[in-house]
Amino acid sequence: MSTFDHKVLVVGSGAGGAMAAYTLTKLGHKVLLLEAGRDYDPKKESPMFRRNNEAPLMGAGNKDKNFGFYDATIDGGWQVPDEPYTNAKGTDFYWWRARMLGGRTNHWGRYSLRFSEHDFKGKSQDGNGADWPFSYDDIAPWYDITEELVGICGTNTGLDDMPPSAPGVLQPPPTPRIPELLIAASAKKLGIAAVPMHRAVLTRPRDDRMACFYATPCGHGCSIGAAFQTTTSLLPMAKATGNLEIITDAMVKSVAVNDDGKVTGVTYIDKQTVTEKTLTADIVILAASACESARILLNSKHAKHPKGLANSSGQVGRNLMDSTGAWLGAQIPALKGRPRYNEDGHTGNHLFIPWWGHKAHAKGELDFPRGYHFEISSGFNQPGSGVSGDKRGYGIALKQQVRDAYGSYVGFALRGEMLPNDDTYMEIDESVKDKWGIPVSKFHFKWSDRELKQIEHGLKTAKQILENMGATIGELPTAEKAISKGGEIIHEVGTTRMGSSAKDSVTNQWGQTWDCDNLFVMDAGVFPSNPHKNCTLTIMTLAMRNSTWIAKQIEQGAL
Amino acid sequence: MHNEDRVDSYKYISGMTRRESLKWLGLLAAGSAVSLSAGCSKALEETISDKGHWPDLDLQPITAKGYGTDPNMVMPPQSPWPLTLTQAQLNLVAVLADHIVPSEGNNPSATEVNVPSVIDEWVSSPYNGQQKDRVTILHGLAWIDDEAVLRYKAPFVALKKEQQTAILNDIAYFDNETPPQFQRIGNAFLRFKNLVLGAYFCTPQGCKDIGYLGNVPIAGDYPGPTDEARAHLDSILAELGLTEYAYQDSVAS
Repeated sequence: MSTFDHKVLVVGSGAGGAMAAYTLTKLGHKVLLLEAGRDYDPKKESPMFRRNNEAPLMGAGNKDKNFGFYDATIDGGWQVPDEPYTNAKGTDFYWWRARMLGGRTNHWGRYSLRFSEHDFKGKSQDGNGADWPFSYDDIAPWYDITEELVGICGTNTGLDDMPPSAPGVLQPPPTPRIPELLIAASAKKLGIAAVPMHRAVLTRPRDDRMACFYATPCGHGCSIGAAFQTTTSLLPMAKATGNLEIITDAMVKSVAVNDDGKVTGVTYIDKQTVTEKTLTADIVILAASACESARILLNSKHAKHPKGLANSSGQVGRNLMDSTGAWLGAQIPALKGRPRYNEDGHTGNHLFIPWWGHKAHAKGELDFPRGYHFEISSGFNQPGSGVSGDKRGYGIALKQQVRDAYGSYVGFALRGEMLPNDDTYMEIDESVKDKWGIPVSKFHFKWSDRELKQIEHGLKTAKQILENMGATIGELPTAEKAISKGGEIIHEVGTTRMGSSAKDSVTNQWGQTWDCDNLFVMDAGVFPSNPHKNCTLTIMTLAMRNSTWIAKQIEQGAL
Repeated sequence: MHNEDRVDSYKYISGMTRRESLKWLGLLAAGSAVSLSAGCSKALEETISDKGHWPDLDLQPITAKGYGTDPNMVMPPQSPWPLTLTQAQLNLVAVLADHIVPSEGNNPSATEVNVPSVIDEWVSSPYNGQQKDRVTILHGLAWIDDEAVLRYKAPFVALKKEQQTAILNDIAYFDNETPPQFQRIGNAFLRFKNLVLGAYFCTPQGCKDIGYLGNVPIAGDYPGPTDEARAHLDSILAELGLTEYAYQDSVAS
């Protein structure tokens, strides 16, 4: 390390950290990146083409591998060994982490929808939450560059909730499957469009990465680089510049600051030797995930920063949001025993239902703010430990029931926008430390009536779409019952939000903390709101835009 | 004749060939008037009531370790924890599994694709869900043998096929109409059945049986539905009155 004279230190190798490292190293700046988990190489470690029967427990999930044996997540999940968190009384928050190079990008759903003008200026429209400190037009060109680099398949649909990408940016999406086509027709009868999903999956080759060969779930990791993860793209590309060094198993504890409010470096625990180490840097970028970066800041106390670093506004840890989630599904009798063909596709949604309610909002027809979308579950999936069907009796008649039922179920996964509220935030639990001696996060979480009304609307809509297809839906669950638990959708954002004023936000529009001008945040913590459209694409786009701004500041001598 | 030897010598062995499996099942069907030392489970006689009987097993918790948060996914562990079913339990699992999934045309039976071994791995696993299933399934297995002894004075594997199916017919159609004495076992057997079906259909042979055609690399674009599948969709759309709303691809293909 002694010969590597880094200018910037980045904490975290997921969507934000890897994009920051990529952007800065490409612009000629030396970056040292710290990752709390172990090194990971998807080329060697992805279980491609493995069948469920080759895995313990037919691949089913458990406390060690929450999303199943083959899920790419390593040393992670709802609980991380030796790294607890606590919940306030009455809170049941779930905090997903992945301790591995590339973080959660190794297993994410790859859904990559742009936020639209409505999303950046929500408060101006309905008075709720906070506006972003820039508009859609400011970020649109950065979405284009990011989408082209990452490789996003999809189409410009022309719908108001899906702003178009520049011509030639999107790669062609895969053709829809039968249940998706049936759902599209059923939804259209209600005036609701189903359209190609945008996904970070290559359908055409790019640089060293191959195009998708339409097999083996993206969530297992992708050895050919078709499904985007930073470990097969941004990180090796950044390394190839010669300007990037990575230290894995480096769990950052705190950011060091001098009396002038200048950040001087970080303190981390080397997990291999369980020793505390310090590193200096001219510029520090936190991209450890929304709640982990906020935890680091709150744990970085200094005489001049008694509430934690960059927290003069008191907003660090506040404004925590997840996406709302709910699910409604049913068997479609008409799909029973349907003709077989290979429905793997790119293993995610080929079609989905984007939010259709902007016009209804404008007319004041909805009793909840903001929106949601539906992801579709359906298809001839690879059989695993669970088998669908009535399952009456035994023998050949029973087997026939299972064959008939195969591929006849469809479901709608609602993903919606949550608004910030005063009862939902994270803080430090001073009474509990993790194995590394670092005080842990403590969560407070509550849904408000705004989210519950949205869920109610979503369930009713999903029921109508299902009934149009001949499904029998009983009484709907209450919204309180149907809504996901906080954190369960794994879209935590907002804990270090950006804004236009140092009074009510943690960073400016560049992710630069108001209190320390050489300290930046580049994960979803900076989101002032949590649009329903999955956070990762915008994390990467912001990290690219804001790292480019940092490079300019360095060149101008401002940093 | 040494029927007892014959029963004892029925042994489920992982990797049993189709021929061997059929041979064993034939033997079992033939083995009828078997005298058995194995009696009913503990306190069976006293517990029979209109709600039926239920075994009272003293199960020790599984204390083995799981495979951890960083298992080798490319070469999955073959024996992640010690297996705990006794040979007698395995034999019963094997016979039941082949009733649930018998061979059918070119499709193998459950034992031919080692389903009992998967069940053993499942109930021997230290995780919460599987531990719960272990309690359900081991009690269910004991109930089935108890019932066999009560009805026919022999454990299940030693019964004639029609005696076995007589018991299965009482427990394999579990719903609200199921008589009270078969409610609990009906529910337990449903769980067992689910696992057997899962373990069968997730094998390559089971995938073929159910018609899963994926997990193969495709060169070029994803081809999508076949003509047959599209024609079927068109007929469904017509049936449901949705033809006029059919999806139109906005991009020229």
